[in-house]
Amino acid sequence: MRFQDAARDGRAVVYAGIQADPLVSRAAELLAEADPSMRVMARAVMNGESTDRPTWVAMFPTLFGPAADAAISERAHEVLGVALDVADRGEAVRSQFRGAIVEELTARLLARRVAGAAIHRERRILFDGVRAEIHPYDVTVERGDASEAYDCKWGARGIGDDVLHQLDDARRHAEDEEARLVVALVVFDAARSCDVRLARSNAPHEGTRVVALEALDELAAR
Amino acid sequence: MTRCEAPLDDGGERTLSRVDDPAEASIDAVIDRALAAYSALAELGEEIDDEWSYIQDLTETWRDRFETLRAGRGGEVLEAETATAIDVAINEIGRIEDPHRAIDWLSTFPQVAITALGERP
Repeated sequence: MRFQDAARDGRAVVYAGIQADPLVSRAAELLAEADPSMRVMARAVMNGESTDRPTWVAMFPTLFGPAADAAISERAHEVLGVALDVADRGEAVRSQFRGAIVEELTARLLARRVAGAAIHRERRILFDGVRAEIHPYDVTVERGDASEAYDCKWGARGIGDDVLHQLDDARRHAEDEEARLVVALVVFDAARSCDVRLARSNAPHEGTRVVALEALDELAAR
Repeated sequence: MTRCEAPLDDGGERTLSRVDDPAEASIDAVIDRALAAYSALAELGEEIDDEWSYIQDLTETWRDRFETLRAGRGGEVLEAETATAIDVAINEIGRIEDPHRAIDWLSTFPQVAITALGERP
């Protein structure tokens, strides 16, 4: 099992520009420190119709209401601000920013558990005698004894048979080489919705870990 | 019903205000309003034929979650800001015109509403 940088085609070059945008980094930084309710808010705002702060403040009384803790409210306002900045980028680029943010968030949470040098982005995994997959993995942890491959999704609807097959194939090919590869989907959506999507899939996913929005901090757990 | 204006629409039109009537602020009433809006959102999402079955399963799952919450707390009267929060969320999904976004919000809306009600989705 070997890891390799993905080919830099035109789409990859454009997307790399999104990934490098300071807004992505800022959003991921705040979301890494956020609690699940703040992450729900960010999800709503980044795909909402409204782009005015009062609407969202009114919608989340547990974060902004009179009974909310002042420190939590302050942090929630920061998350709201960055989510509104994403929403303000307009419909055409929102989805790219959202995807890049989930990837960066995943990498940041993993970095709490794994040395940064082991964490890579946009990598392919090669196995002897197996044709390489076209799509790279969003985030990988590359270690001799226990590597990990992550695909990141904004929503449960993004869970498709193609990605489930790709992850399961990689896990099985690693087993064939007596290498250990943990494969996972990180989904910035509720576990309940992910379960519904997975239940409808015919693709193998028993060996694929699904990390939903409310469990994102498990990425950092040793 | 007693309502006081809240600045929920920066377009100049005030479409929602605080819910101060206890009858409208009960969990029962709030969930009724939420599920009615949720059904309308599902109808919009169903314009995407390929996702029809997923939408049925998804909405059934989240309706069950709302009903579980109702079964435990149905008679409870909410703080005004909580009932208002649900109505603001209802207003938000009422603005959605894109069926793809509607499908995304079929997952997001219940999370927002249940979070506003102080529970984990």
